Amino acid sequence: MSKKNREETRAERAAAAIIEQQRRERRRQLWIVFSIVAIVIAVVVAGVLIQSNRDTVGQTLTSSSVPPGVTDTYGVVIGDASAPKTVQVYEDFQCPICKEFEASTRDKLRAAVDAGRIKIDYRMVSFLNDASTTNYSSRALNAAAVVLDTSGQDVFLKFHDLLFDNQPAEGSAGLSDDQLVQYAVQAGATAADVRPGIQDDEFGTWVTNTQDQMSKNHVTGTPTVFVDGKQAGATLGDSINAALAAAG
Amino acid sequence: MKEWLALVARLVTGGVWVAAGAIKLPDPYESVRAVRAYDLLPESVVPTIGHLLPVLEVVIGFALILGLLTRGAAVVSAVLFVLFIVGIASVWARGIEIECGCFGGGGAKAGASSAYPWEIARDVGLFALSAWVVWVGRSRIALDNLLFRRIPEGT
Repeated sequence: MSKKNREETRAERAAAAIIEQQRRERRRQLWIVFSIVAIVIAVVVAGVLIQSNRDTVGQTLTSSSVPPGVTDTYGVVIGDASAPKTVQVYEDFQCPICKEFEASTRDKLRAAVDAGRIKIDYRMVSFLNDASTTNYSSRALNAAAVVLDTSGQDVFLKFHDLLFDNQPAEGSAGLSDDQLVQYAVQAGATAADVRPGIQDDEFGTWVTNTQDQMSKNHVTGTPTVFVDGKQAGATLGDSINAALAAAG
Repeated sequence: MKEWLALVARLVTGGVWVAAGAIKLPDPYESVRAVRAYDLLPESVVPTIGHLLPVLEVVIGFALILGLLTRGAAVVSAVLFVLFIVGIASVWARGIEIECGCFGGGGAKAGASSAYPWEIARDVGLFALSAWVVWVGRSRIALDNLLFRRIPEGT
């Protein structure tokens, strides 16, 4: 074997070793990539599960978790079922503009209900918990559901009106459970009937779900008024005008 | 120089992702509502997408900041920005006025459409940074540089 040949063989062996090394390095890197991708996917999946677990909106309602006396799960319908027009009103007990809406329209709407011209479908919702230090928006709606359950629609309606007339300021602690019981009694309920449900958040899941049906109906603020299924504009003026026009 | 610029692009984009995702994590339902407001996806997938997006944003953000699988993370980042741009352009075209829900919030808001051009411009800018990271591939100060040695080309 000539010297030249021997050198070529050595060079070939060296080249083959380098190629083998590179192949091993590539395999190692591929393995690292797969491992990281697997870990990242696991983290994302775990995160989504945690988020969906923490999301309490939209939990299945059992018949006992829906307050009796509602229509279509979330509506409280006031007036004659055969009234020619339906005014649907979305309100949050913590919403100051709803208070203004009530002040401007309540008497005329109720007169129209009494005259049989309209029925009102109250869709009370709770999405303003951040506006109080005690989740007043949800506590008030739960209290209203308890009142509806124990004392019927007329008492619910008076309680509804009292809560708007005595609405706590935004950023405050809201009305206490005791005050809610007092207003319920003032509306015509019996304290012993409503106190347990108000203190134990009896319809909490239903209250949370009200914002889900609100969102699915593309209602994103309160007050929102629908007249015979047609949504009035987004401003307070639009809502008032639509409601008063329907009341006739 | 390119690799230093890629580092800056990574940190900016990653920082925005982490911030945007972290703001939305505390209230899972808010993101669901924000996704629904676009009125683009069937109701059956809306909750899952709403729960997924904030998590994905935080994870992609950290991957970009750390420089972990930089190129892959930047591809996902760029794709997400394209989807967001399409989403905002779509509500704009349909005359729907919503908050984009990019940093929490979301849902209808009167006059929200005045923010659409700026939101799209911002997303186009962040898309460009992501695309730049994809194109350059390697960047300075990245976990990738510890995990993956450069393989010399050829034999």
